[in-house]
Amino acid sequence: MPGMRKDKDEEAGSGNPFAYIERTAVLQEARIFQQTPINPRKCCEILTKIIYLINQGEIITTNEATETFFAMTKLFQSSDVIMRRMCYLTIKEMAKMTENAFIVTQSLTKDMNGREDIFRAAAVRALCAITDSSTLQGIERYMKQAIVDKVHSVASAALVSALHLTKHTNDFVKRWVNEVQESCSSDNVMVQYHALGLLYHLRKKDRLGTSKMVRKFMKSGLKSPFAYCMLIRIASKLLEEEDAGHDSPLYDFIESCLRNKHELVIYEAASAIVNMQNCTARELAPAVSVLQLFLSSPKPSFRYAGVRTLNKVAMKHPSAVTACNLDLENLITDVNRSIATLAITTLLKTGSESSVDRLMKQITSFMSEISDEFKVVVVKAISALCQKYPRKHAVMMNYLSSMLRDEGGFEYKKAIVECIIAILEESPESKESGLSHLCEFIEDCEHTVLATKIIHLLGREGPKTPNPSKYIRFIYNRVILENEAVRAAAVSALARFGAQCDDLLPSILSLLSRSMMDEDDEVRDRATFYYHTLSQKDKPLTSAYILNGLMVSVPALERCLQQYLKEASDEPFNMKSVPLVSIPTNEPKPDEFSSKSEEKPVASRQEIFAEQLSRVPEFAVLGQLFKSSDPVELTESETEYVVRCTKHTFPQHIVLQFDCTNTLNDQILEGVTVQVEPSDGFEVIAYVPCPSLVFNQPGVTYACIAIPDEDPTDVTTTLSCILKFLVKDCDPNTGETDDDGYNDEYVLEDVDITVADHVQKVLKANFGAAWEEVGDENQLEDTYALSTVNTLQDAVKDISKYLGMQACERSDKVPEGKSAHTLFLAGVFRGGHDVLARAKLVLKDGVTMQLTVRSTDIDAAQVITSAVG
Amino acid sequence: MGFMDRLFGWLKAKKKEANILCVGLDNSGKTTIINKLKAPDATQQDVVPTVGFNVEKFVTSSLVFTVIDMSGQGRYRNLWAHYYKETHGIIFVIDSADKIRMLVAKDELDQLLDNQNVKAKRIPILFYANKMDLRDSLSAVQCSQILGLDNLKEKPWNISASNAMTGEGLNEGIQWLSDQLQSVR
Ligand SMILES: Nc1nc2c(ncn2[C@@H]2O[C@H](COP(=O)(O)OP(=O)(O)OP(=O)(O)O)[C@@H](O)[C@H]2O)c(=O)[nH]1
Ligand SMILES: [Mg+2]
Repeated sequence: MPGMRKDKDEEAGSGNPFAYIERTAVLQEARIFQQTPINPRKCCEILTKIIYLINQGEIITTNEATETFFAMTKLFQSSDVIMRRMCYLTIKEMAKMTENAFIVTQSLTKDMNGREDIFRAAAVRALCAITDSSTLQGIERYMKQAIVDKVHSVASAALVSALHLTKHTNDFVKRWVNEVQESCSSDNVMVQYHALGLLYHLRKKDRLGTSKMVRKFMKSGLKSPFAYCMLIRIASKLLEEEDAGHDSPLYDFIESCLRNKHELVIYEAASAIVNMQNCTARELAPAVSVLQLFLSSPKPSFRYAGVRTLNKVAMKHPSAVTACNLDLENLITDVNRSIATLAITTLLKTGSESSVDRLMKQITSFMSEISDEFKVVVVKAISALCQKYPRKHAVMMNYLSSMLRDEGGFEYKKAIVECIIAILEESPESKESGLSHLCEFIEDCEHTVLATKIIHLLGREGPKTPNPSKYIRFIYNRVILENEAVRAAAVSALARFGAQCDDLLPSILSLLSRSMMDEDDEVRDRATFYYHTLSQKDKPLTSAYILNGLMVSVPALERCLQQYLKEASDEPFNMKSVPLVSIPTNEPKPDEFSSKSEEKPVASRQEIFAEQLSRVPEFAVLGQLFKSSDPVELTESETEYVVRCTKHTFPQHIVLQFDCTNTLNDQILEGVTVQVEPSDGFEVIAYVPCPSLVFNQPGVTYACIAIPDEDPTDVTTTLSCILKFLVKDCDPNTGETDDDGYNDEYVLEDVDITVADHVQKVLKANFGAAWEEVGDENQLEDTYALSTVNTLQDAVKDISKYLGMQACERSDKVPEGKSAHTLFLAGVFRGGHDVLARAKLVLKDGVTMQLTVRSTDIDAAQVITSAVG
Repeated sequence: MGFMDRLFGWLKAKKKEANILCVGLDNSGKTTIINKLKAPDATQQDVVPTVGFNVEKFVTSSLVFTVIDMSGQGRYRNLWAHYYKETHGIIFVIDSADKIRMLVAKDELDQLLDNQNVKAKRIPILFYANKMDLRDSLSAVQCSQILGLDNLKEKPWNISASNAMTGEGLNEGIQWLSDQLQSVR
């Protein structure tokens, strides 16, 4: 809601008369409130000072506040208008500082019901500020009246105050809903807006109620443009929640608002449409064309709104915005730099490749005049451009490197660095120039986070370049000049060079030996560890401990170690029993303007499953959870019962978790199980039923399957499943249930146990080293014709999926126009055996593949090879 | 209120002003009394228990009264003390039909009289033995005995039996108070 204070802060410079006031002195002065006759002018000045102090964050003790508050109450004896209103403001500020604020209740109630209109609205606001749930009862009658008061300011004040009151007393305010509804039909723009806002707030938990309300106003229409905007927002939220198609009346309503006579409403409707999920080009068109009109508005705020919104549209639907290119061109020279920036970055997305250079020149000409926030927008635009036009990489790299040298805050520099990294990872030609720009940047970089990130990247990419030695100097400089975190990162990076470049090893060892005397524990420990590991000159060792590191999930490692210590066994701790880090599937990148995602670590999905399963006593003997699959639907959507299955792999068992939902509101299901038919030697050893399934509340039942142990390569099968349960009819309204029920069953789709269920993905940062580390002792090789795929990219996707392994060294991306490609895959087989696969693919009348599998266990290698057959 | 304000401004020129504090147990009829004094001819509106305080003004032939009508409920009584310091006179209202709580009223009165700010001044105290119309109400004399007013030497005081609903007895009291206030000043 719009704030009440209009007065601009004019405290700049020496003009502020309150600059030197002091708390105790002001409170001392407040004693004159007690004098008779009252001097309103003087008292107002002191009240102003008190409010000023409070807003400056000055701490006023409870005693001081109470004393001052009581003194202030005496001013109610005077009916001076200005002073009374200052009192209202003071009451609102001090309400929470003293517990005696309620003493003015009677006086405020009187003012709010009095004849002096100028007091009434302010009195309502002050009254609500001193009211809590215990005293609300006493003023309820007046609030109800005020909400429907014919004086608009009073009604608005009452509505907004009621909204504030809902924070602690939601249920209470709900009782006023009739009055609120009545003022929804007010012909005053503000009252209607505030009433609708409150009504929605009271109903928003009740989807049906909200939807009814929206439909009602859609039909009857509203007077206030503000209320219209609100209604559009509520409607689009409903649309999103209901996941309704765009043939819904809600959508028609929003679309119709594009023809409203208020620009405000038109903009709101356009913005709602462009923000809709999966919006088609046809739906976008009308919204884009009203936004286009905004671009030529004489008012800068409309131009800004138009261009900013189109900029957002251009990210997902550049072609939809192309029609506005001419108008956007006109804004390039707009005196408002924010508008110009947005216009250019939009054009960068919608324009042709040929216009890029011109636009980039234009924008760099005023880069120094715009704020960091917009600079980030520019960088993001460049980043998007690079994805679209790989040929522009070199040019963009130049712009980025010069921007990197300019002034700018952390967010801006971070955006640039990320963009450069993205480019050099995409295009091998830009790799060296990108790395050298980054090297230059870390020579003078105040942001530890960025420095460590870049050093890590140098450690990963540097050794693979034709001339690795030139990076050593940049990295070693950091060891000499920087703080601990950066030094530690630099030491690790140096070690990676040592592990991969034999000719550099002696110099790396001597550099590392210097850091073994570092004053920081972490730096010293790392240097010592790397020095001794590298000195062994043992390739598998360096691969396991430097290049590919530890793949386990750290929280899981902690849990396993704790468990181990508790059991006090004689056996050594088995590293293979620790669950691995789960590799996140690539999330779509958040929008340019969307709120920043929180970067705090969350428990991984598998951690959560492990925790849940460990609470089922039947599964205590199964050991550590090795892997959990993605859920598979076993029912069609919109059926009576919805069941989805998640497969949890343990060392010798597979637990099938069935999440079931009962979508019938006149039935309760009891003793729900999913019966699994044994096949191929897979045996069901336990069921955990779900005691009862009530309407729309998901429940879980499990089945535990033993994996056949006679032949370790027998790992796949198909299991047929039947949902079994006891049905009891119930009354959907009262929830009353019949005592008797009958048994029933429901056939589900089959569950497949595949090779991928036995394999956990692992990312080997250096595949080559890992390949050598495992060796060819258990190597299997064969050639296959992949008849069902037509492109290398599809082949790569299918193979990764069947084998359930992780593509390493970015080999999941097939460069455009190549007819041969090698895919590197890494994983761990159930039981903790490393498996690596190299698939050489050739495109020639379909795809031919030569698959080489290496593993620490021959059976694992066998299983993997058989998966493709 | 606009009209009244102008009237006051004009009257102020020749009339003295007096600040009066009106206290007494809850339900004793304070607000009803003040309302009646303010507008003798208006029919009594519904009164609800006062929360906090309320400021009212009215004029008599000789004085402009500004009365702070306090709330009498138990948990609010300790707030009275905040207003003793600036007051020129006190009206203490007793529900003469509420025999059970008469001692509570005495207790509150004693505390009031014991307060530093009250002790310091010779301020007049007007008692209304209100609700005299009720059948089993005590007389003004009986009330003054229970409250021990005979022992109250250091302050001028007066007790009037009153009926706030009709206005009976109110003016006698106010007349006495006006006389006291004018003689003091
Ligand atoms: N019969 C009768 N009833 C009275 C008289 N004076 C007041 N009342 C009633 O007594 C009740 C309480 O009156 P109030 O004026 O609210 O009492 P109060 O002292 O202001 O009470 P608080 O504000 O709670 O301290 C109301 O219902 C009045 O109508 C009276 O002289 N005779
Ligand atoms: Mg009262």
